[in-house]
Amino acid sequence: MPEVEANGLRFHVQHLGSAAGDGGSRPQVVMLHGLVIDNLSSWYYTLANPIALHADVHLYDLRGHGRSEMPTSGYTVDDNVDDLEALLDGWGIDGPVHLFGNSFGGVVSLAFAHRHPERVASLFLIEAHFAVEGWGEHMAGSLALAAFGLDEDAVQGWLAENADRKLSRLAKRSERFLMETSLIDDLQAEQPIGWLSEIGCPTYAMYGSESDILDRARELEAKVPSCELEIVPGCSHSLLTEQSALVRERALAWLDRVG
Amino acid sequence: MADTVTSEQVLADIERLLIEVIGDDLLLDGPLTMETSFDEDLQLESIEFVALSEKLLETYGEQVDFVGWLAEMELDDIIALTVGQLVEFVTAQANIARTGSADA
Repeated sequence: MPEVEANGLRFHVQHLGSAAGDGGSRPQVVMLHGLVIDNLSSWYYTLANPIALHADVHLYDLRGHGRSEMPTSGYTVDDNVDDLEALLDGWGIDGPVHLFGNSFGGVVSLAFAHRHPERVASLFLIEAHFAVEGWGEHMAGSLALAAFGLDEDAVQGWLAENADRKLSRLAKRSERFLMETSLIDDLQAEQPIGWLSEIGCPTYAMYGSESDILDRARELEAKVPSCELEIVPGCSHSLLTEQSALVRERALAWLDRVG
Repeated sequence: MADTVTSEQVLADIERLLIEVIGDDLLLDGPLTMETSFDEDLQLESIEFVALSEKLLETYGEQVDFVGWLAEMELDDIIALTVGQLVEFVTAQANIARTGSADA
């Protein structure tokens, strides 16, 4: 399994498309997934392979997720930005990359673009999640999860449908993540971001019309200067899996324009 | 010219590599067959399917074009994949690479 050390941790990574090679002129795309029950496979099953026909796609499991190492602490957005910086350095990617962020991966992408504007060519955000005013007041117990799109009912429903082996493994890993690391404390401590207006790269943002975080869509559109917003009718926070063909179409068109 | 690869060999390789990914529990319900589905029968986590793909690439070489194959599929198609579909794909690709022909 491809693993690399970065920022003091072991990460599971996947590189798709670079074998095709054409002198390094292809766009470089890095995809960042969502929280706890998510990992790089949600990209692998949806956009990563089709995009890899046109670009070099780099996937990794965020710290604590999938097959990457799970440290007991260090789950702030900034920690994740440090990870991405170290991974890009390790991969030898100096030029600007296109960051694809889903849910929590969206806020990591935004924060990376804010801290390292010279290293980001564009942002393609799906249901990007970030702290807004009043966020801290609602951060308690399962609400902390709901606020990141991990609605308790949805998780329970998912677990009920996925019995046996997958259930026990996912439940065990998630329980360990939530109970034995500083993840929830770190998320609760996130402050509303006040720098969205400083994001200078082209940005495409997609949200589902039924998403519980539609307020973030409006905030991105209002504050990020070059943000194009698309609301997909009838979709929830799980937009990437509910409408993967549509999202893929938009992503390919986006890379055509900005790649 | 290198020997061609048979689907029986690929099936055996997939069984061995799956045990590397998820352990001996794989065989509790009997040996893998071409009809076994990754999701419903094996309860394979999607991240484990990614790991299996990686191991098949290591075994058969980068010429096995997973990117091109998966790029043509929708999410539901990938979730519904059977062992047999993967065996047929890998066998054909490995033989194209070895002999220039897909015939095993």
